[in-house]
Amino acid sequence: MAIRIRKLRKRMDGLELYRDLSFTAKTGKITAIFGPNGSGKSTLFNILAGVMKPDGGAYAIEPFDQRRFSYLFQNYRETLLPWRTNRANITLPLESQRLDKHEIQDRVTTLQQQLDLQLPLDGYPYELSGGQQQMLAFFRTLITNPNTLLIDEPFSALDYQNWLHFCNILQAYHLAKKPTTLIITHNIEEAAYLAEEIIVFSDKPTRVLGIVKNPLSYPRTVNTLKSAAFHDIKRQVLELFHGKAEA
Amino acid sequence: MRKIYTFLGPLGFVLIWWLIAAFNLADSFFFPGPKETLIALVNLLGGDLVKDILATLSRTMQSFALATIIGVPLGLLLGKAENAYRSIEFIIDFFRSTPATALFPLFLLVFGIADASKIAAATFGGLLIILFNTAYGVINSKKIRILAARLAGASRWQIFRWIVFWESLPQTFVGLRNAISLTLTIVVVTEMFVGTNVGIGRRIIDFQVVFNIPAMYAAIIAAGMMGYLLNYCLRAIEQRLVHWKQ
Repeated sequence: MAIRIRKLRKRMDGLELYRDLSFTAKTGKITAIFGPNGSGKSTLFNILAGVMKPDGGAYAIEPFDQRRFSYLFQNYRETLLPWRTNRANITLPLESQRLDKHEIQDRVTTLQQQLDLQLPLDGYPYELSGGQQQMLAFFRTLITNPNTLLIDEPFSALDYQNWLHFCNILQAYHLAKKPTTLIITHNIEEAAYLAEEIIVFSDKPTRVLGIVKNPLSYPRTVNTLKSAAFHDIKRQVLELFHGKAEA
Repeated sequence: MRKIYTFLGPLGFVLIWWLIAAFNLADSFFFPGPKETLIALVNLLGGDLVKDILATLSRTMQSFALATIIGVPLGLLLGKAENAYRSIEFIIDFFRSTPATALFPLFLLVFGIADASKIAAATFGGLLIILFNTAYGVINSKKIRILAARLAGASRWQIFRWIVFWESLPQTFVGLRNAISLTLTIVVVTEMFVGTNVGIGRRIIDFQVVFNIPAMYAAIIAAGMMGYLLNYCLRAIEQRLVHWKQ
């Protein structure tokens, strides 16, 4: 019951992305992958989503349910459809599952209340600010009530205030629904704030340098960000990343 | 304030025209002034020319409708099957570069000298433009939207209806607007040629033959107004449908 990667191998453009990459993201937990750019993190997600094929090794998402699998792209704003209203953008995954209109409406209302989303649902995406567009796309990935969430550098373009807001929404959803969440980030603060386990990736060919356990209790708040224990987690990640001597 | 600039050009144009006529800078027989032309236009619009305009309009709309009904679905389909499109791209490009009017004699042989051959020639010209613009709209669509919808569990048909069609729509309208101008052009030219007694092209030739020059100019202006209005209507529809590109 988890996302399992076993001895995954993949070459791209003649470069070895990973050789025998293995790790597990536990069910119902948030796991962060922290690593340098170009370590094949996004490719890993594309493989998990079935968009790309690995050269070897095995991977599994258990239990897998296409309808409750959500993938938040790095450039997820671009996946919004400008010819659909904001509401119709959110409900697209539900429409494709052929749910009836009332059920779809109920789901939107419920999630809206749960996450305190304030967006003009009858407007169009191009009328929204960049941050609101990201919020809309984020909302769409949560509407299917996913039990598996892949999130690829989600909040990298946001200012600090919005970043914290997004993190807290993700956290709230997580606490309510306990999906298995795998989140790619190159923001060490984000990894330490959200995740229960932080997997640190090396440069190419990518391998796991180590795993940092993060026992800080949820819900985490601004006070968590200020705490000594939080900084200790960040230090552990940096030590793995740079080697003990440098850090 | 901006509005003033919009009218400045046309006013200047008419002014230069009037000056040339008033000071006899050109032979007034071949180059009547704006006043004579306007009087001729008003007279014609109160009489026979309406029938000609309606006839030309009817032929143009029939051609345009046919070209759209065939061209848009075919373009969407070919855009999806990119390899199929590549394999016939040369044929489309070749016939698109061939003036449809050059094929008119052939259409006369096949469809006879009545309206059918005119409509066939205009449809042919418009069809190719609509077809390749629509196909390009599909080919150049953002793959990430389709990918996101696929991951959300959308079927191929749903992706086609919800994304591909809309994504290609701005480019489709580029084709439609070009096509309506072209179909009008082809209809007017073929009317000048043979096989009809009504139509704005026919009327222009008739006035020219009898040297009724002001009336000829008036008919030309009427044809221009038709073209402009057709484009304007299409633009209005486009602005409603493609609201996100404004």
